[in-house]
Amino acid sequence: MPETPISDRLELVKSPIDFDGLVRFVRAEKDGAIVTFDGFVRNESHGRATEYLEYEAYEAMAVTKIQEIAAYLHDKFAIHRVAIVHRLGRLEIGETSVFIAISAAHRAAAFDACRHAIDTLKKTVPIWKKEYFADGAVWADGELPPAPRSSKSAS
Amino acid sequence: MTSVLPTIRVNVLFFGRVRELAGVREEPQEIPVDATLADLFASYVKRFPKLAEFRGSLVASRNQEFAAWDTQLMPGDEIAFLPPVSGG
Repeated sequence: MPETPISDRLELVKSPIDFDGLVRFVRAEKDGAIVTFDGFVRNESHGRATEYLEYEAYEAMAVTKIQEIAAYLHDKFAIHRVAIVHRLGRLEIGETSVFIAISAAHRAAAFDACRHAIDTLKKTVPIWKKEYFADGAVWADGELPPAPRSSKSAS
Repeated sequence: MTSVLPTIRVNVLFFGRVRELAGVREEPQEIPVDATLADLFASYVKRFPKLAEFRGSLVASRNQEFAAWDTQLMPGDEIAFLPPVSGG
């Protein structure tokens, strides 16, 4: 039986992400596999040397959207627990900005769910990063989340 | 007595490059009762003309859900104009 998403860890944090703790959190005796995704700050962007990044979020909405992702994963994939944690604020090169851990009885569902989670997060969760270089800063190119075209067709 | 059009109050949030352009994170706004998200955005374009360049690359949200531009606003709504997202 799938457990309720209440047993998931879905958070925005402002300090370093404890990814070992997240892996331990999703791991249970009934599982046979954990797939993780570790997204961290690269030292360059489009050929320019990055000094650091700053992340900001529409925090309440971002948490809601991450919860929606987790609910979808439980609905569509035979997985056990989900941890999705995104860090905000200033991050240095090599620091983890997002960490996802998903446990399952078998590896295929965990791989598929983890891939879906990060791909969807990057398209729908209202978080923004600004890239700081030696000679300036730019907001990273992003993806425009899908929105209803008309309020008339929706409820 | 002059007749005054009825208005409602909504709370507007800005993020990322739009926040920098508007120079504000959050503010209450009085708008006409029948105003839509598009109307509210148009009022901001009047204040900050450069915002017009972003219209095609923004998505609006109402009460933390992505919403169509023709959505009519209600008293107390929390509105945001969101640039393309770049988390991860």
